[in-house]
Amino acid sequence: MDTNKKKETKSSSIDDIDKKIYANQVLYDQLHQSLVDETVSKDDGNQKKGKKKKSGVSWVTSFLLKFSNHYQSNELFRYALWGFAAVFFATTILTIIEYPLFSSSVKDDVGDGFMFGGNEPNWVDIFFHTFWWAVVTFTTVGYGDISPETHLGKFLTIIIMILNLGIVTMLTGAVSSVLVAARLKGDDTLDETKFYGHLIIAGWNPAVQSALRLIEANEDSASVVILINETEEEIIKRAVSGFDRLDITHLSGNFTQEGVLKKAFIEECGTFMIVPDESGLLPNEKPDEDKTVLTALTAKSILEDIQVVAYILDEEYISHLHRANVNEIVFPDEHIPHMLAKHVTDPGVPQLFDELITQEKQDKGIQVVSIPKGLVGLTHNKVSAYYKFKHKWLLVGYAIKKAGFSLEEQMGESGSPIIRDMIKEQLDGAGIKLSSDEHVIVEINPDDEYIIDGKHKALVLR
Amino acid sequence: MSVNAKQIQKINYFSKVSEELCSEVAKVVKQKKCSPKTTLLKEGETGDTMLLIFQGQVEVSKNMMVKTSSGFTMSTKSIIRLETTDPSPANKPITAPTVSVVKAPAFGIGEFSLVLDDAKRTSHVTAMTDINYGIIQLEDFSKIVAKHPSIGGSVYFEVAKSAVNNLATATQDISNLTQAFFFALAK
Repeated sequence: MDTNKKKETKSSSIDDIDKKIYANQVLYDQLHQSLVDETVSKDDGNQKKGKKKKSGVSWVTSFLLKFSNHYQSNELFRYALWGFAAVFFATTILTIIEYPLFSSSVKDDVGDGFMFGGNEPNWVDIFFHTFWWAVVTFTTVGYGDISPETHLGKFLTIIIMILNLGIVTMLTGAVSSVLVAARLKGDDTLDETKFYGHLIIAGWNPAVQSALRLIEANEDSASVVILINETEEEIIKRAVSGFDRLDITHLSGNFTQEGVLKKAFIEECGTFMIVPDESGLLPNEKPDEDKTVLTALTAKSILEDIQVVAYILDEEYISHLHRANVNEIVFPDEHIPHMLAKHVTDPGVPQLFDELITQEKQDKGIQVVSIPKGLVGLTHNKVSAYYKFKHKWLLVGYAIKKAGFSLEEQMGESGSPIIRDMIKEQLDGAGIKLSSDEHVIVEINPDDEYIIDGKHKALVLR
Repeated sequence: MSVNAKQIQKINYFSKVSEELCSEVAKVVKQKKCSPKTTLLKEGETGDTMLLIFQGQVEVSKNMMVKTSSGFTMSTKSIIRLETTDPSPANKPITAPTVSVVKAPAFGIGEFSLVLDDAKRTSHVTAMTDINYGIIQLEDFSKIVAKHPSIGGSVYFEVAKSAVNNLATATQDISNLTQAFFFALAK
């Protein structure tokens, strides 16, 4: 707005503006030829290749891979497969040996019904018929509608039936052992391999479901989610049933406890979110926000580097959360006065916010995108021109991951070593960490000459 | 055994002084020796002498309030060790150093006494090895300066330089401590 006003006061003619736009385009054209586009197209190429590979690696191999994984990891699957193989093997043998017998029995059994071979049964009919006999025998059902009649056939059937006894026993055993194991393990031990960079949400609140829906819409975000709360399993199940992309696990327990958080692999998590917990509250009761602070402290004591986002309703707790070194605090009440006032002073602004914030489609609204490597080190106006002309996005500003303040870094080599050592020693002794955590700050609409470094991500309006 | 001009010149404060004038200084220096653990200077005492360490290692320490598990106590904290290299110490220091050891051909300590009348010693200086040192009185030095003003210029320049350096470091220390103070308060 400011720059616009300046331009107006300068009373620059339309020609001037045209020239500027032209200059911008020239700038863009130059950019287009330079390394920027090269790297971008490379990026694009890589992505395409990646996608192609996905479809290129034929489904057969991926199926085989899954199959062998399954075979190795799932006992039940292994037995079932062997059982099936045995039935199949028996069928084949019997079809060959007892061909005349089974063929006449097919005729008797089926009569005028459909046969693959028309009037006379062909080998498909015989095979199917034998297969029927094999399954009836193997499952110990034994209808007795067909049975081998030659000595050789009977002899083979004896062997098969005895073998079958073992296979069926093993299969039954496997089924029950798998079921018992699952029961014993319960819900609270999760598969460790899956949980890395996942999202943990401690506490249950109607906002969680909506938040999950927004996360679901953005395909770049982590897909594994663990919910920790003491709300009834049924309610949670109903709330999270509509999600396809997200893999949501519910862990029932008191999330202020270290043990419960560790069960959710909090050390490996990407984001740990704490929301006001409404588990088991009556409609007029307020969530206990002490729990939020306590949980933040517990999480940070488990591992200082955990990215903790806390949603708080009561302003009073903000200072406590800061002290707990929480990375980001969401305090919605803060926005209410602005929204109310803007309806009076700048009608349209609240509507804009609504439009931007509530946009659920992945490719619309305000988003954070990484900046192509080729653009790092360039000025804001160039990066802005790139997004404008290349993608038709409006570059609003930057999200910058800023390393937390580090006293040690700040002191560097200045002053006398003895004093520096003493400071470190004394602060350490008092349990005060010498650095604060990384957090994200935003830089909105910077100067044209503002330099973009590798820690910047672009905030674009699509 | 008297001190010679060459020994005096090794000390940085006298490095710009001609050998001729150094021998004038050497005449008023009282040569002394001491064994390890001897306290050469005591923090807080006033003194009108400067010590010239020719050989050996000394530890500079200060009284400080430190926090220990049992609360705050006053303790002597070593800050730095100084060691001569020309000649190097005749024997090993009685305790291994816990702080950095600064080496130079020879040292002058308590140099503020050359400037101030009743300069208070700012830290303890304790012998860590056998020490071969000299003492120079402010009064004697003033007499030489009166006779040969040029010696005053170069010595005071060096003293001022070290004072300015100390001041710069002290300023940084204050800034570090202030930051640490705010940092601790913010938690």
